[in-house]
Amino acid sequence: MRMILLIAAREYAENIKTKGFWVGILLFPLLMLGIIFFQATLADSAPARRYILVDQSGVYEQSVESAIRQEHQRRILQEFVRYLIQYRRESTGAQLTESSARVDNFIDQVEADEVSALDQWLANGGLDYALQLAAPTLRENAPPFMPPREQFVQTQLPPGIDPSADPAQIVEQMRPWLTGQQDLPEGGKLFALIVVPHDVDNDIIRPGPLSPAPTPPELIGRGVQYWGANLTDTRLSSAIDRSINSTMRSNEFADRGIDRQVVRDIERTRLQVSRLDPARAAGDESVSLADTLQQWAPVGFVYLMFISLMQSVQYLLSNTIEEKSNRIIEVLLASVTPLELMMGKLAGIGMSGITTILAWILSFIAFINFYPGAQTEFLQQALVVMMSSELVPWFVFYYLAGYALYSGIFLAIGSLCNTLKEAQGLMMPMMMILMAPLVTMTFIARDPNGEVARIMSWIPMFTPFTMMNRAAAQPPMVDVIGTAIVLLLSIVLVLWLCGKIFRQGVLRTGQPPRLVEILQMLRHRH
Amino acid sequence: MQKNVLELSGVCKKFGAFTAVDDMSFVIPRGSVHGFLGPNGAGKTTTIRMILDILRPDSGTINILGAPAAIGVRHRIGYLPEEKGLYKKMKVWAIISYFATLKGMDRRTAKRRAFELLDTYGLLDFAQAPVESLSKGMGQKVQVLSAVAHAPELVILDEPFSGLDPVNQAVLEQLINDMAANGQTVIFSTHVMQHAERLCDRMLLIAKGRKLFDGTLDEARSLIPRRVLVECQGDLSAVLHDRGILGASELPREGDAPLEQNQHQQHDQKLWEVRIDEGVNPQMILQRCFDNGISLTRFDYTQPTLHDVFVQLVGEGATEGAPERATEGVMESGTKSPTEQQTP
Repeated sequence: MRMILLIAAREYAENIKTKGFWVGILLFPLLMLGIIFFQATLADSAPARRYILVDQSGVYEQSVESAIRQEHQRRILQEFVRYLIQYRRESTGAQLTESSARVDNFIDQVEADEVSALDQWLANGGLDYALQLAAPTLRENAPPFMPPREQFVQTQLPPGIDPSADPAQIVEQMRPWLTGQQDLPEGGKLFALIVVPHDVDNDIIRPGPLSPAPTPPELIGRGVQYWGANLTDTRLSSAIDRSINSTMRSNEFADRGIDRQVVRDIERTRLQVSRLDPARAAGDESVSLADTLQQWAPVGFVYLMFISLMQSVQYLLSNTIEEKSNRIIEVLLASVTPLELMMGKLAGIGMSGITTILAWILSFIAFINFYPGAQTEFLQQALVVMMSSELVPWFVFYYLAGYALYSGIFLAIGSLCNTLKEAQGLMMPMMMILMAPLVTMTFIARDPNGEVARIMSWIPMFTPFTMMNRAAAQPPMVDVIGTAIVLLLSIVLVLWLCGKIFRQGVLRTGQPPRLVEILQMLRHRH
Repeated sequence: MQKNVLELSGVCKKFGAFTAVDDMSFVIPRGSVHGFLGPNGAGKTTTIRMILDILRPDSGTINILGAPAAIGVRHRIGYLPEEKGLYKKMKVWAIISYFATLKGMDRRTAKRRAFELLDTYGLLDFAQAPVESLSKGMGQKVQVLSAVAHAPELVILDEPFSGLDPVNQAVLEQLINDMAANGQTVIFSTHVMQHAERLCDRMLLIAKGRKLFDGTLDEARSLIPRRVLVECQGDLSAVLHDRGILGASELPREGDAPLEQNQHQQHDQKLWEVRIDEGVNPQMILQRCFDNGISLTRFDYTQPTLHDVFVQLVGEGATEGAPERATEGVMESGTKSPTEQQTP
């Protein structure tokens, strides 16, 4: 036992001195910080995108404009609500998500003619007034509210281009601006050009008995034309799509003598769908955000487990290969038994894996506390759910079991190879096996007690991941206890067999053995 | 306290079809320095690994420090393997101290001991340096120190001199002598006979997995007939019929032994090697030559060296066994045969 501890202590001390260990520890929080800051600054710093709308029909310009303004108002109000919640004296992430949905709802209900009224209200300092009302409930150190900038700004055709010309001609003339070769007169690049031909109404697709295709081929390139080089940012194109279609439909209603107001009233009727959990006590069945989070929390744990295991086994492998190629192993074996050596290594590197996980969690908590914000409040809630749930003991058990199982195998592989390159070949099948639980992760989370999940749970290689995946869904007791027994037995078996390979492998030089030789090693009586 | 630190009887080890060690039996008494000699591929390393319980013999018994297996007494043994290596990133003192703690020393004593040893053997300046910054020879010295830091009763060094420059070889010889003076038993393997001649009280000579000889240096020398080199004009046959003369043969004129270099100015000079019996005085040959009027240009009588014994014995052994494993390359250090390296 003393030997195991000595070896473990050395492995641990040497491991935490390596660069790789610190990269692993720091990468996670840095990544998290990076994502959040990047998102925030990216959204703020994105330049206003300029578009030109040429509406030869004269019908749709108004509605596109108001749709884009409405989008902007939605952002201002959402930001405002977020701001209020963030700097309120007491607030939770749940309130945030709920209120965000309410703002959405509110904006959706604003009529086109009301958009300008809201615009005016915003322009006349409506927000300042609202801010004054809210001030007493805000924290003292709250920074002033900064409304987001407009994302899309309409601009005019450059001088010399006739807006009433043939659409093809306009596009041809605009090509230098569309490809970004030429800047707009007021500066900046052109983001998109939308051309609505004067006879656009002839291109309206109407339902017919024989029109299964959504866009008949002869209509491609007709209708409203949206020209833009940026294919990934679809916010403008979809806003235009929505607003033009909604205007077109209103006009259709009018043409057919249907009262638009009646249609709107009908469109706004809705029926609530309440999500209820049968496992909960009466009166407490409604599914909250926290419940959903809890259902998905195992996926987070599986991820954590996977990343940490990968890191540990890789280190174990390279470390064994180093000892082997340096022939240190022989000195060690003159002092300790192969089993002690193996166990010491497993323990030492396992400890550094646990250190990494603890460091991640600590940095996560520190991050949430030192950088309060809307995103972190959500993360905090997720963390509280994860930590307070009964999932933590499951995670500890399955993490340790998974580590023991896989590390033994990787240690045996390491003992057979002299270089990492040689190890690649033997590692491939193991990597494939390790990928399987990751690939099926979301699928199992959706159907935690389904057949696939149950079958995978009984395969020892997958048990730690799959059972962790299922942990929140009250898997049947048979599965929990049965798989745990199978898992523990397999760990004993695998460690015993790997101990044999390890013992014979570490003294070997030359090429890694073929499969037949490995089988011979397993049969060897020492 | 047992009289013998090590007893092997009938130890065999096979790797597949290849017999690495065949019916090895010997005892090593406590105290003094023992050489473990043999050509490459003779089974030295395999025998040492079995002694240390890193490999298990197929048959036969080993008794080490009174225990049936080294694992029970491993704290009393120090071992330097043939292929040297250390953790590259560790500090010099830390690695010596780590191996000492693995041998049962407590941490504080181990650290103190590491610094003592480094001081004694001239490496104190490097105590805080990482192993990877050392030269190969220095690294090897550090490894020797880490093998003996816990002051073991029995020290087994596998090829400790290979790769060291003459100055460091002298330092290592000093270390071995120090340990012997301290009452520790030292076994070291080598194929450089000068080291064995200088250091060993007793020696064990093995080839092809078999023991060829086990005894003191003098006993080894007496194994082969003493020889006298005689250079003269004409025939020597007149003196060769006496009792005590075992035989004579003419040596090639431009022999490869350094003694004969540049000795044959005259064309009809012949060089003879005369083998004489144990109890015969070499002076007798001189007397006979004088009596027969043979004029000698050279008369050379030397004690046989261990080198001669080795070549003679190993040469015989090689012809007995499989001819393809001849003695070529015996005295070369460096590459080992694949069979001994590969230990399945």
